[in-house]
Amino acid sequence: MTIPFTHMLFLAILLFVMGAACAMTRKNLFLILIGVEVMLNAAGIAFVAAAMRWLDMNGQIMVLFVMTAAAAEIAVALALIICFQRQSGSTNADRLSLLKG
Amino acid sequence: MKPVLFLLLSFPLLGALLVSLIGRHLSRRAVETIACTAVAASFILALTAFLLSGQKAYSLTLARWFAAGSFQVGLDLYYDPLAAVMALMVTFVSSLVHLYSVGYMRYDNGYIRYFCFLNLFVFAMLVIVTAGNLVFLYLGWETVGLCSYALIGFWYEKPEAANAGAKAFVVTRLGDVAFGIAIAICWVTLGHLSVSGIHDSAAGIDASRAGIIGCFLFLAAIGKSAQLPLSVWLPDAMAGPTPVSALIHAATMVTAGVYLLMRFFPVIQASMPLMAVIACVGILTICFGALGALIQKDIKRILAYSTISQVGYMFLALGAGDVAGSLFHLIAHAFFKSLLFLGAGCIIQALHEEQDIFRMGGGLRQKMPQLFWLFLAGTAALGAFPLTAGFFSKDRILLAVFLQPQAGYKLLWVIASMAAMITPLYAFRLFIIVFFGKSQSPSGPAKASPTSVPDVMTRVLWPLAFFSVFLGFLNLPLNWAGKEWLAQYLAAVPGSAMELHASSKMESAMQLGSALLTIIMVIVACIYYGTRVESVETGTETLLSKMQALFRNGFYLDRLYQTRITAPYRAAAGLLWQKVDAGWLDAGLNQSARSFLTLAETLRLWTTGRVSRYVSMMVAGFALILCSLTLAWWYLLI
Repeated sequence: MTIPFTHMLFLAILLFVMGAACAMTRKNLFLILIGVEVMLNAAGIAFVAAAMRWLDMNGQIMVLFVMTAAAAEIAVALALIICFQRQSGSTNADRLSLLKG
Repeated sequence: MKPVLFLLLSFPLLGALLVSLIGRHLSRRAVETIACTAVAASFILALTAFLLSGQKAYSLTLARWFAAGSFQVGLDLYYDPLAAVMALMVTFVSSLVHLYSVGYMRYDNGYIRYFCFLNLFVFAMLVIVTAGNLVFLYLGWETVGLCSYALIGFWYEKPEAANAGAKAFVVTRLGDVAFGIAIAICWVTLGHLSVSGIHDSAAGIDASRAGIIGCFLFLAAIGKSAQLPLSVWLPDAMAGPTPVSALIHAATMVTAGVYLLMRFFPVIQASMPLMAVIACVGILTICFGALGALIQKDIKRILAYSTISQVGYMFLALGAGDVAGSLFHLIAHAFFKSLLFLGAGCIIQALHEEQDIFRMGGGLRQKMPQLFWLFLAGTAALGAFPLTAGFFSKDRILLAVFLQPQAGYKLLWVIASMAAMITPLYAFRLFIIVFFGKSQSPSGPAKASPTSVPDVMTRVLWPLAFFSVFLGFLNLPLNWAGKEWLAQYLAAVPGSAMELHASSKMESAMQLGSALLTIIMVIVACIYYGTRVESVETGTETLLSKMQALFRNGFYLDRLYQTRITAPYRAAAGLLWQKVDAGWLDAGLNQSARSFLTLAETLRLWTTGRVSRYVSMMVAGFALILCSLTLAWWYLLI
């Protein structure tokens, strides 16, 4: 049984919007990070779907790159968050306001 | 010849450099020695060059200066009898004035600046005298103006001195602009700028073209030599130290204009109307200066007006085509006028900076007997008393004017002879009031009795007095069994070969006439000024007092420039400054800057400092971009 291409795209869109909403509305830095990860994976699903639809392996290879980048990114981001948490004692994103105009 | 001329120029320049660069670390005596030695060495070299040259003309190039395509300018020198005589005079008078300055400036702390500029002035003047092309001459011309400016405003704490310096600089600048134009025209029409080349091409030049070049050269000369209508700067220039007035504003720099015209006389000669204009300007200036000198009270201003008048005689001589006569008067004038100025400096210092002749208290004859005789020599030469230098030089000019064939020159001769009668009047007025007058001024009694001045200040006057009296034998007229040595010596100079075809009888008659007139005027001056108390200003507007005010204020030329040129210029400048610059340009820029500031104030509200807001904005922005792209794609598809 094959899943139709549009279904997979809808799933990707749904995940992306959910991730974006999470990143936009949450104040906790961890949750914002999780939202970003969800958005990245939504994009990965779209790539895989496209690879299946056109039988092109480039899409799947792209997903591998995205996962690598996401891993690196999450490592850096977690380190920054821990650093911030140690300094200010919180993980509230709204307290990162030194560049406020 | 080349090393001699090179050293002649480089000694004063070296002196100026040494004094300005290391003078601070030397004692006062060392600075004075350097400055005086440099100029004295220059004089010895001028003498050497004079003896070596033997009436030949030398064109030399010391070095290449700059080149732009075919326009090449070198540090060229042109040395001929004319330059030889001028260089001798300039270095001789400068040496004496330097020595005098050692005494005169003995209490002044600015002596390094003073001697630096005085040395630099001698260098620049020698550049004018020996320059072989117009551009090099222009360098000297401008440097002379700079030194004059710096030395007039030497006591720059006094506002009138600073203003006088600026005034002299700006007024002579008008002439300098004309000089620049003359150089450009020479290059365009004649194709070269060297003195000898211009002499060569002057032979085949047509009158109108020569007239244009000569006219601009003449304008330049008017500015530098303080002729009408640019004479206003010279009386004010007396705010500088007295030796400076003697050297720059009497003996040398003001004659630079005359020298310029002599140098390029072949060009000027080619245009008869220009010659007439030169003669007319000369005669007007003679009368202007003589009448001004007759009524002034400040001893230095009297001498300044008489300088204007005497330089006018040189212009008149050039207008009559007599280069030798003009140079003769130039040399004689340099000696007697620097003598008078330096003598005036002695009097002024002895009387504690008193310059008003009516407050000098008279009786200086007993208190300063040596100066009395020196001053008498200078006054006699200025007043053209028979057998002095001024007598022979002025007579030669009058004769040259008389011998011109055109009828107009006869009229000029009459006016010049009448003006020559005023000269002994003002010269002896000054002399009698200073040395014989009683304290008769309504403006208060004379100051304390005179103090003594350093010996050096009176000693250097003796050679000047000697030449003032005996220089006439340099160019003794033919009917005196003289050889006219100066005229013979100058015979090889282009344009100056002019024979005065006068019968011996006529020459003698003219000399006798002018001698008699001069003696009569001297007697008149003695009786009139010796017995009379200077009229007190009563406030009644008689014709006489009006005329006195007219002469005293230099025919209101200053006021004319003030109201017609300076005031409108200032008004225009004020308008441009307050309305255009401050009102439009600055205000417009300020307004636009302020609007940018407001915009920035508004925009910075976007930077809220909340990460979630930034992310929302970003997503919204991407969404907008995607939507617009989709719409565009949709549109293209349909």
